[in-house]
Amino acid sequence: MAQDNFSCVLYGAGKVRFEDRPVPEISDPHDILIRISYVGVCGSDVHFWMHGGVIRMVSEEEPLVMGHEASGVVHTVGPAVTRVKPGDRVAIEPGFPCRRCKQCKEGRYNICPKMKFAADPPHTHGTLSRLFKIPDDFAYRISDSLSLQEAVLVEPLSVAVHGVRLAELRPGQTVLVQGCGTIGLLAAATAKAYGARSVFIADINKAKLDFAKGYLGCATFVPDLTSTPEQDAVRLKREMDLEDGVDVVLECTGIEASAQTGIYALSAGGVFVQIGLGKPLQALPLLAMCEKETVVKTAFRYAPGDYEIALELLDSGKVSVKPLISSTVPFESAAEAWERTRKGEGIKNLIQGVQD
Amino acid sequence: MTVAGQNPSFVLKKVHEVSFEERPIPKLSGPRDVRIEIKQTGICGSDVHYYTHGAIGSFIVKSPMVLGHESAGVVAEAGSAVTSLKVGDRVALEPGIPCRYCDHCKAGFYNLCADMKFAATPPYDGTLCRYYVLPEDFCVKLPDTVSLEEGALIEPLSVAVHVSKLAKITPGSSAIVFGAGPVGLLCCAVAKAFGATTITAVDLVQARLDLAKEVAATHTFIPTRGDSAAESAAKIKELLGGKAPQFAIDASGAAASVNTAIHVLAQGGIYVQAGMGASEITFPITEFTIKELHAHGSFRYGPGDYQLAVELVASGRVDVKKLITHRVKFEDAEEAFKLVVKGQGVKILIGGPIV
Repeated sequence: MAQDNFSCVLYGAGKVRFEDRPVPEISDPHDILIRISYVGVCGSDVHFWMHGGVIRMVSEEEPLVMGHEASGVVHTVGPAVTRVKPGDRVAIEPGFPCRRCKQCKEGRYNICPKMKFAADPPHTHGTLSRLFKIPDDFAYRISDSLSLQEAVLVEPLSVAVHGVRLAELRPGQTVLVQGCGTIGLLAAATAKAYGARSVFIADINKAKLDFAKGYLGCATFVPDLTSTPEQDAVRLKREMDLEDGVDVVLECTGIEASAQTGIYALSAGGVFVQIGLGKPLQALPLLAMCEKETVVKTAFRYAPGDYEIALELLDSGKVSVKPLISSTVPFESAAEAWERTRKGEGIKNLIQGVQD
Repeated sequence: MTVAGQNPSFVLKKVHEVSFEERPIPKLSGPRDVRIEIKQTGICGSDVHYYTHGAIGSFIVKSPMVLGHESAGVVAEAGSAVTSLKVGDRVALEPGIPCRYCDHCKAGFYNLCADMKFAATPPYDGTLCRYYVLPEDFCVKLPDTVSLEEGALIEPLSVAVHVSKLAKITPGSSAIVFGAGPVGLLCCAVAKAFGATTITAVDLVQARLDLAKEVAATHTFIPTRGDSAAESAAKIKELLGGKAPQFAIDASGAAASVNTAIHVLAQGGIYVQAGMGASEITFPITEFTIKELHAHGSFRYGPGDYQLAVELVASGRVDVKKLITHRVKFEDAEEAFKLVVKGQGVKILIGGPIV
C-alpha cells in the first residue's frame, strides 16, 4: 500500500506529528478520493488538542488524523460514481452512516449508532491528510462563485441549518440566538434567511457581539453574569421590547446559565433548540417550561437535506461566510491554528491542505 | 408431487402465458445478504395485472419474469456479516431493495427510490420460486407464534400500515375505507389497531362487507348505482348518526369512491389514496378546498412498516388468517391466478416448491 498520504496526526493532548500514512484505497464502488484543499478548526478540535479527546481519547497506540470541516478537489472515483468526477471542487460532509439501521432508513442518519465521523477515536481518521476517502453522496459540488476556503464553512452552516429546521421557524417569528461563535453567527444568519421578523443575538464577549452586529445587522444583548437567568430574561424582553418573549431560542453556547436564560425568554408555546454542546448534565427550569408548554429540541450535527440547503443559502447570497474566515495557516502549522482558536483569536481559522 | 430442479420458478413469459422454469440458485451479493427458501406466497392484483395485461403503467414485461412478491420463508444461507438472522429463522420478506444513496433513501422515503429493485416489477424477478436473496435488513423475523402463512400476509398488511400511518389515524376517531379487497380489509384492521372506534367499510359486494365486519368494520355501506358522490356521502353520514369521518382511505381505485370519500370527510380530514385505478379522474376539488382536506398519495411501504405489521400480527391486534381463502400447491400456481381473475377469493396462497 502506498504510504504517500502526508497527514496531521494527534498522539495525545498537545502531541501532534506530521507523517505519511497509507493512501486510502477505493474499496466500495461508491468511494471517491478527495485532495483536501482546506480544513477548518472547530471547538472540538481544540478540545482534542487540549485533552486528547472528549469521551474516547487518542493515544500513542491509537493516534488519530484530525479535522472534519473540509473542502477539496476530487482526485479519483470508484466505478459506480456518477455524481462527481475528478477535478470537481467539493464541500465534504464528514460523517458516514451505515444506511441500513432504523435511524438511517427513517431519514435520521445523523443519529446512526454506527456513524463513522471524521476524527472520531479510535479509528475513524479525519480530513487533515493529503487525500481523504468518502462515499460519493457525501461530496457536494460547489458553484464557481464559492471559494474552497468558504466551502469549509458549509459544515458549520449545515449545523446551523439543522438547528433552524428543527425549530420549524416560520416567517414572521422572533428568534434569540445565544452565542456569537461560528455556529451562533451562522444560526442567526440562517434564521434571517428563514424569514424571522427579528433576530436577537447574545454573548458575554462584547467584541464578538460587535462583530455580530456588523455581520448580521441585528439587535444584541449582553448577559449579566451577576443576575439570575430569570432576571436576565426579564431584562432581555424589556430591552428588545418583547411583551411575551421570543418564539424561538437557538442555544449555541452549551452553557447551562445561557440555556436557562433562553428558556425564560421564550414566549408561551415557544421552541428551544439546544445546538451548543457543553457540560453533560445541566439543570433546566422544568416548571416554567411546563407552564408555558415549551417545546425542547436537541440538535446533533446535520441530517438529510441540510447540506443542500446550506449550499443554496450561500449560492443565493442569503448567507455569506467570507467574513468569518479569519486566518489560513500552512498544513504543518495546524497546531498554530488550534492555538489561535483556543485563545479566541479569530472566528474560523483555516489550515491549508498538503501542498505539492 | 414435486417439481423438478433446484430453483423451480413460476415465470410469466407473456400475457396469459406462464411456465415453470429452472433458474440458477441466486447468490448472495454481499456479506449482509441472506438467501431465503420461499414457503408461502400470496398473490396480489398487480401480479394478476401483469398476467392479464403484461404491464402496469410504464412498467412493461419485456422478457420472461418470475412473478410474486408477497412471501415468507426460511433463511437457508446467511452472509458473513449478518447479525440479526441465522439459518433456519422464519422471515417475512420485504421484497424491494432501494439504493440507500439517493436523497429519497437518506431522507426516510426509500419507497420512492428511483433505483428501487422491486420483486416482480419489470425487469426484476419475483418470489414465486424456491430461493430469493435479500439484505438482512429487508427481512423481518417472525416470532414463533406467527405462521409462515401469516408471514405471507405481512406484505399487504405493511401496505395497510403505511396507508394508516400517512392518514395519521388516532384513537377514538372515525375512519372510512372504500374497497373491501385485501388491502381495504387490512386497512380496516389497522385502523382498528390504531384506535379508530368507528370504521366504515364500503364496497359493492355484500360478501366482502360481511368479511369486513368480521375483520374490524363497525359499519358497512353499499352505494346505490346512480347516486352521485354527494348523495352517497349524505347516506353514509346518516348511517353514522350525522357524524362525518375524519379519515378516509380509498383502496379501490374507483373514481366514484374517490369522489364519495372527499364528500363524506369532515372538515380538516385526511384522505389517503391507496388503490390504483384509472390514471386520471374527475375530482371534487372545490369540496376538497373549502373543507381544507389533506390528501396523501401512498406507495408501497417505508421505514418501520414491516416491523409494525409483524408486531400487529404477533400481538394479536390484527388477525390476517381471516383473509386466507384458498391455498394451492406451487405446481398449481396458475390456478391461483385464474381464481383472482375470476374475482374469487380474498387472499390466495401459493406454497413454496417442494424439491
